[in-house]
Amino acid sequence: MVTIRWKTGLVLFWALSAVVGAPQLVAQQDSAAEATQQRLDDLDQQIKVLSRRWELYQDSVINAAKSRPSVTAGATGFQLKSADGNFVLKLRGYLQADARVYLSDDAQVLTNDLLLRRVRPILEGTVYKYYDFRIMPDFAGAAPTIFDAYFEARFKPEFAVRAGKYKPALGLERYQSATDVKFIERGLPTNLVPSRDVGLQVAGDLAGGILNYNAALFDGVPDLASGLNDVADGKDLVGRLFVVPFAKKADNPPVDLGFGIAASTGDELGNITTTALPSYRSPGQATVFRYLTSTTTPITGTVIADGRRERIIPQAYLNKGPLGLLAEYAISRQEVARDTGVTRTTEKLEHKAWQVEGSLFLTGERNSFKSVTPKKQFDPFAGGWGAFELVARYGELDFDDDAFPIYASPTASVTEEKAWAVGLNWHLGRNVKLMFNYEQTQFEGGATTGDRPDEKFFATRFQTSF
Amino acid sequence: MAFLIRGVAAVSLALGLTTVAQAQKAVTLLNVSYDPTRELYQDVNTAFAAKYKAEKGVTVTIRQSHGGSGKQARSVIDGLEADVVTLALAYDIDEIAQKAKLLPADWQKRLPDNSAPYTSTIVFLVRKGNPKNIKDWDDIARSGVSVITPNPKTSGGARWNYLAAWGYALKKFGGDQAKAKDFVARIYKNVPVLDSGARGSTTTFVERGIGDVLLAWENEALLAVKELGPDKFQIVVPSLSILAEPPVTVVDKVAKKHGTVEVAQAYLQFLYSDEGQELVAKHYYRPRNKAVTTKYASTFPQITLFTIDEVFGGWTKAQGTHFADGGVFDQIYENR
Repeated sequence: MVTIRWKTGLVLFWALSAVVGAPQLVAQQDSAAEATQQRLDDLDQQIKVLSRRWELYQDSVINAAKSRPSVTAGATGFQLKSADGNFVLKLRGYLQADARVYLSDDAQVLTNDLLLRRVRPILEGTVYKYYDFRIMPDFAGAAPTIFDAYFEARFKPEFAVRAGKYKPALGLERYQSATDVKFIERGLPTNLVPSRDVGLQVAGDLAGGILNYNAALFDGVPDLASGLNDVADGKDLVGRLFVVPFAKKADNPPVDLGFGIAASTGDELGNITTTALPSYRSPGQATVFRYLTSTTTPITGTVIADGRRERIIPQAYLNKGPLGLLAEYAISRQEVARDTGVTRTTEKLEHKAWQVEGSLFLTGERNSFKSVTPKKQFDPFAGGWGAFELVARYGELDFDDDAFPIYASPTASVTEEKAWAVGLNWHLGRNVKLMFNYEQTQFEGGATTGDRPDEKFFATRFQTSF
Repeated sequence: MAFLIRGVAAVSLALGLTTVAQAQKAVTLLNVSYDPTRELYQDVNTAFAAKYKAEKGVTVTIRQSHGGSGKQARSVIDGLEADVVTLALAYDIDEIAQKAKLLPADWQKRLPDNSAPYTSTIVFLVRKGNPKNIKDWDDIARSGVSVITPNPKTSGGARWNYLAAWGYALKKFGGDQAKAKDFVARIYKNVPVLDSGARGSTTTFVERGIGDVLLAWENEALLAVKELGPDKFQIVVPSLSILAEPPVTVVDKVAKKHGTVEVAQAYLQFLYSDEGQELVAKHYYRPRNKAVTTKYASTFPQITLFTIDEVFGGWTKAQGTHFADGGVFDQIYENR
């Protein structure tokens, strides 16, 4: 009986406790849930804050990157560019290592040699938006020489002003970059135009690049020369009009055609120490025509430039698919004088040259006046062989008959050159090219008896450019 | 030689005439502005271009650039060629005048109302129901309230926010600068994220869901409520705030260089016109024109406002004391 009462009391106590304690328990549970919710909300906020801070940090990194200069390196050189693009510095350059072999040169008049033909680092840039500069020395000769050094204000495609030393826009093949020419040495018409001159030029592309014009005032240098200092007050006016009919379809023209005419005129006066007259070369770079000079004392009989110098060069190129053609005709006239001490004679001499040059990419690349990028780089491990290009040309250079014998010796200077050449260019990539040329030149005159022997010239070139 | 000179002169003249002729037909302006004015100037630009075309026959294209006001001013100083600037505060334009010399020092006198065609003020944007019961500046200085405001070093709006709080504290503590500093420091202790501009802070608060209260331009707060719905946000108007006068001006040297002076001036004058003032009010900026103000009276609540000149002695002084490197804001923020 006692046991039953005790058990009943225990049950009643539990029941009573449950009834009395239940609200407290619910309240505790609510409070815990609220605390948990609060904690979750706080954590949610913290995560959101951290996420937003990360987002803002990334934005700041991106914005900072936008204001930082960019550095790029690629096939066209190395470049440092300000964030706004207004300031650019480019490092480019090229190197040409040649081997020359003169066949049938039994008398060993010419030297077979290995040489550095051109070693030219190029520093180019933009100093605020419109203003470009270019400095290109050459370290291949006996002493370093500045070839290009100019400043150009390029306000619009239609109008740019250039001042300094650079190529006058005269000869077409001369105007072509030394890295893009099809042969190791340029053809005969290049004899009759200057290499570089110091001057002021206005140039531009009109009608969307269809018509290109150049008008310039230069110091005036002899044919083939690269001038820095002028010897007389006379200056040369140089002009060129060049039409590229399909310039607006540059990406895919029906035919890549360009044609035009260039001309120069000016007065040149030499003296007995600086004659202001050129010597002319064969394709193998042998001097084959020079005006008479005297080393006797008193100096008499030296031929000097004595007045008007004129050049006219019609020119054209045409590229269609893998096939390319380039043709130009050059006339160079110069008034010359010779004072023997007894008599003074003057003459206006006219030298003429022309050439036609063709090239064909055997590997199907689209030919161009400018550099060509092989469809496949040469890569012995990946199987690419680069691009192969066959080249051929024929040209003639005719010296004025009136030059002989008063102004040039018929036994030392030739009256005419006729040259043909073939070659193979192996473009390993855009930046590396191997060239193999054979050129044979027939001369008229230029020897004590009869004609100067034919020049048979074999040359190879290893070229790298960037 | 004479032939060459004549040739060059002829070509130059021809190109020059061509350029002038083109300029007569179409003009492009760059308006460098601050963060929250995007929508306002989109409408202003369209309306002005139509009006100018109708009146002068000239097609005007106006490009916009937006960002923190201070940041935008620095961009102009660094060379961003703005024909006009429409920034958050006069100090930023003073900086352009002083450092880049692109416009005269007295530029603010050139247009009515201190060259500020519209005004605004600083209010609070809180989440619907105002869960933290925020009513005035004291509430955002409370512990446990998360406050969103941009960085006063880069944002004009943030400087207005900061000075509004400071002005309130000065009044509350009877001009005691130390107590005001402590008060503002408590507010910034509650700031978890400093965006660089006012629009960024709006994104932080509205889109990212961070914070209990956004210190905002009145126009930005009204826009947020309109676009996101009153079921999500509500505006709390404090008992005291600051009269913000965002100024506008032509950047003389750039406009002269671009040949856009006349168009740029007309563009800014347009902001004062009835049509311009209507657009200003539509985009929740307080118009200057009394008739338009009356028309939109219900949009803008009555609020006691103080000016920067009254409390801080002008922008130059306020900037030097509070926002210069090592100034009061740096002291506050570094010691959080």
